[in-house]
Amino acid sequence: MSTQIIGKPQDRVDGRLKVTGRAMYSGDRQEENLTYGYLLTSKVAKGLIQAMDTSVAERSPGVAAVYTPFNPLKLYHGLEPPEGATSGETLPPLQDQKILNYGQIIGLVVAESYEQARDAAALVRTQYQAEEPVASWEQGIEHTFTPESVDREKATVKILAEGVDSIDDAIRGSPLVVDVTYTEPIYHHNPMEPHATTAVWHGDRLTIYDATQGVISHRLNVASVLGIDEDMVRVLCPFVGGAFGCKGSMWMFSPLTAAAARALNRPVKTILTREQMFTLVGHRPALIQHLTLGANPDGTLQAVKHDVRSTVSFAKIFVEAAAHRTSRLLYKSPNIQVSHTLVRWNVGGPTFMRAPGCAPGMFSLECAMDELAVRCGIDPVELRTKNDAEVYPGRNVPWSCKNLVECYQLGAEKFGWSKRNSIPGAVQEGDWLVGMGMASALYPAHRNRASAKVRFQADGTAQVSSATQDLGTGTWTVLAMVGADSLGLPIAKIHTELGDSALPSAPTSGGSASVASVTPAIQKAAESAKKKLIQLAIRDRKSPFFGAKIEDVSYRNGELTGAGKSADFGSVLSGIGRSAVEAVEMAAAGEEEEKYAFHSFGAQFCQVKVNRWTGEVRLQRMTSVMDIGTVVNLKTARSQIMGGIVFGIGMALMEGTILEEKTGRYANANFADYLIATNADVPYIDIHFINKPDTIFNPLGARGIGEIGITGTPAAIANAVYNATGRRVREFPILPEKLLPIGANQPMISMSERS
Amino acid sequence: MRPFTYEVPSSIQEATSRGGADAAFIAGGTTIVDLMKLEVMNPSRLVDVNPLPMLGIQMREDGLRIGALEKMSDVAEHPEVVANYPVISEALLQSASAQIRNMASIGGNLLQRTRCGYFRDVFTPCNKREPGTGCSAIDGENRMHAILGTSSSCIATHPSDLAVALVALDASIYIQNGAEERVMNLDDFYLVPGETPDHENQLRPGELITAVRVPRLLWARRSTYLKIRDRESYEFALTSAALALDLNGDTIRDVRIAVGGVGTKPWNLPEVRQALAGKPLKPETFAAAAKLAVNGANPLRHNGFKVDLVQRTIVRALMNLGGLA
Repeated sequence: MSTQIIGKPQDRVDGRLKVTGRAMYSGDRQEENLTYGYLLTSKVAKGLIQAMDTSVAERSPGVAAVYTPFNPLKLYHGLEPPEGATSGETLPPLQDQKILNYGQIIGLVVAESYEQARDAAALVRTQYQAEEPVASWEQGIEHTFTPESVDREKATVKILAEGVDSIDDAIRGSPLVVDVTYTEPIYHHNPMEPHATTAVWHGDRLTIYDATQGVISHRLNVASVLGIDEDMVRVLCPFVGGAFGCKGSMWMFSPLTAAAARALNRPVKTILTREQMFTLVGHRPALIQHLTLGANPDGTLQAVKHDVRSTVSFAKIFVEAAAHRTSRLLYKSPNIQVSHTLVRWNVGGPTFMRAPGCAPGMFSLECAMDELAVRCGIDPVELRTKNDAEVYPGRNVPWSCKNLVECYQLGAEKFGWSKRNSIPGAVQEGDWLVGMGMASALYPAHRNRASAKVRFQADGTAQVSSATQDLGTGTWTVLAMVGADSLGLPIAKIHTELGDSALPSAPTSGGSASVASVTPAIQKAAESAKKKLIQLAIRDRKSPFFGAKIEDVSYRNGELTGAGKSADFGSVLSGIGRSAVEAVEMAAAGEEEEKYAFHSFGAQFCQVKVNRWTGEVRLQRMTSVMDIGTVVNLKTARSQIMGGIVFGIGMALMEGTILEEKTGRYANANFADYLIATNADVPYIDIHFINKPDTIFNPLGARGIGEIGITGTPAAIANAVYNATGRRVREFPILPEKLLPIGANQPMISMSERS
Repeated sequence: MRPFTYEVPSSIQEATSRGGADAAFIAGGTTIVDLMKLEVMNPSRLVDVNPLPMLGIQMREDGLRIGALEKMSDVAEHPEVVANYPVISEALLQSASAQIRNMASIGGNLLQRTRCGYFRDVFTPCNKREPGTGCSAIDGENRMHAILGTSSSCIATHPSDLAVALVALDASIYIQNGAEERVMNLDDFYLVPGETPDHENQLRPGELITAVRVPRLLWARRSTYLKIRDRESYEFALTSAALALDLNGDTIRDVRIAVGGVGTKPWNLPEVRQALAGKPLKPETFAAAAKLAVNGANPLRHNGFKVDLVQRTIVRALMNLGGLA
């Protein structure tokens, strides 16, 4: 394959559409005779709806219908995984009066305008028989259980050296032990674009414009909840304004909207409010992580024990595999044990959020490693290098392409790690204490079965199509780039199609797997299309290659050559009167999965300053080195890592959803009170790629890149805060008050006593 | 949002005659429109004051006069403000976002409602929004709430940064009611909640703030606004301090100081001023004086840290402005 543009910085092919406002997002969809849905949500977290008075709302201007449990739309139970793949929730709304969480759907108002629907919704009066919800770790004790499996392994995975009876024995036998507990709040994805569905029926065929990470999965799940054949449903989603996992599943407002459209025989569009985004489309669960590291005085790990408790809802199980995806495999240790228990709360269903498992797991593991480095008196980079795993623990297979130690080395060099003063609180700039910290980054490389179509067209252009999605990540551009390189054509000659369930099937864009999954199918389809083109050229009398032997004609850079002749594919197709020739191919991982482990790795370095008076933490700079295989588009790849790091900054320093214990209500379910990083919070981020193709993983050698950036970032920040202040904050986010008063060894007057 | 009518008066007098308990004035709209969407405020009439002659930023004999319709961004960047009252400029520039500052008026800033999450959620009890229903914050989530000037009815924090700076500078506001105009000290204008948290200030229905006057204070050229917050931009204060310092060598001649993020109104600190006046410019002096700021503080479950943090904020501001940092 010629590689002309892969790896180079490429502008987004859809960039102009986006900045000119012509990219039509799901909520932008306009239809003739369109109505607007507005969801009614519960204002208690547990109990029963006793009555709903909708009479005033129904008489309100423009209202077409008010659906409630007392006037329901029939919906069926959703498909459970794995059948339903990534189905977000399975309990259909409005089918009973039971309340399991604050903000649960209890009705849908449909009106002629969005404002009329919203204002009518405010006129519905609901009476509840409320019960005390489960909304804290203490209350959840009675609702604790062990999941059947975690990340396709047992809930407890033990890898013990010969002669070692238990992980606790291994810890007891370790000369140095770090034993720490970390807690994290619920986090919310908060993409800029809210979820939206526009449902349009043509007879018994349904077209849904939905903000989704998976048009194919959405089609299946919506059809099952509506009780219709999935062939009768088409899902379209050309653009997504950020997703981060919360659009990776079907949520019930979408089939509810479709059911209303069916009942009213009119298109209905429902857009979630920001507040509804907090309770209806998932979150990262709250976690308590207990980590025990046992090591020799030289820092060699002897035992790694990582126990995780994470929250789930009463309607849905989702396991945030914080230990199974991190401590289970990142470092070499003769003894490793990871375990997981779940705790039910009266909250909406949790779901995957950018780097599920790895983002929170790497926070605790990498902070604990920093504590171990201090305990051993070893540099954190050296400690990690020393414990680097050559083979996947317990499976004893190598990684397909692992360059983590190189990440440490390059990162340390680019960042200037050697200038770090290892004594906490030793560096001061004016009123600010300055510290440096680092952490590893880690995320599994996934590849799923995917299909794609490549089509040569008589006008000299080519089309690349697959039912994949672009979450704002740059898939449009990457598909065009891979299509261009596969066919040896300039990118301007490639038309891309995606985000349509009618296209060749592709997996949900999650787990950083889209590029890795879809591009092999494009490459394969390109080769098949070339073959078909040549076959056509030698068989048709009007072709200049008519009668040539198949092996004598070759395709290169858009041209067919052979039998002393040469012609571009467009003129060949035109000449024989064909509009196009195309091929569809499917690609999937093979037996390499048995022989190798697949992960992306990285190293994060950061420098923070902490005000010695008032405790605010501000980032000064970050360096990130990523080992993600082939970099396909340098420009969007950098953006992906940067975006992940910005997520990590929020996770470490300001984000966190506050759940009220007594009411089960989120106290900060809006953008004024749930803080995400602003531009002013994000320093210069220096990003480097190892860029070694992982061709065992797939022909392009590219692993996913969308999630790994968040991993390691929070720990690097927390470790830098320790280096700056001598304070370990093990409860995220690191708010100013958790650092006050800053150590007595600091040159400041005593301010700690309260008057 | 409930249905409302939209009216455009042609004079200040007409505007005030159109005002009333069922009406609300709209200038930049950055608060009122939000609250109407949330149905926290449901005026049946909106009276647009934007065309009214309430503009101008002028340095006069008696001080600075700012028209109530001036935008936050324009005041923040005005050369006379930047030169003579850095504390005002800094307070404005650390408020909200650039987009909001470009829209929001000075009068509206002073009248913005609290950010208490219960006040803004009509499904929770709130004495300020609906008198007699109770205060959800006292036993609820109260990390951002006030520790000073609170009552058993309300602990909502006053959100304005500008008001803190203006109270420190002893500013007054011009209030128009029909043909009558009165001038009121801004500190006196704001009320603590007591038993009537819905009653936030001394503005009567229909009355309009037309201008702000800041007394001439030459040494306010040495002034600053220090805001401590959870992120670097677009966030309300955990604590803040507005400070002007008059120095005579190493001695503090006089001080103006008020704090924000901690009070149910902008919290003026005359005791701290007294404690610092005439004292040497030393960290020990600062710490002792800062303690007086939290006299009578009533911390709750999540906001106890503010007792300490506001003292630290004061000391840090004094260190910076006094050139000791």
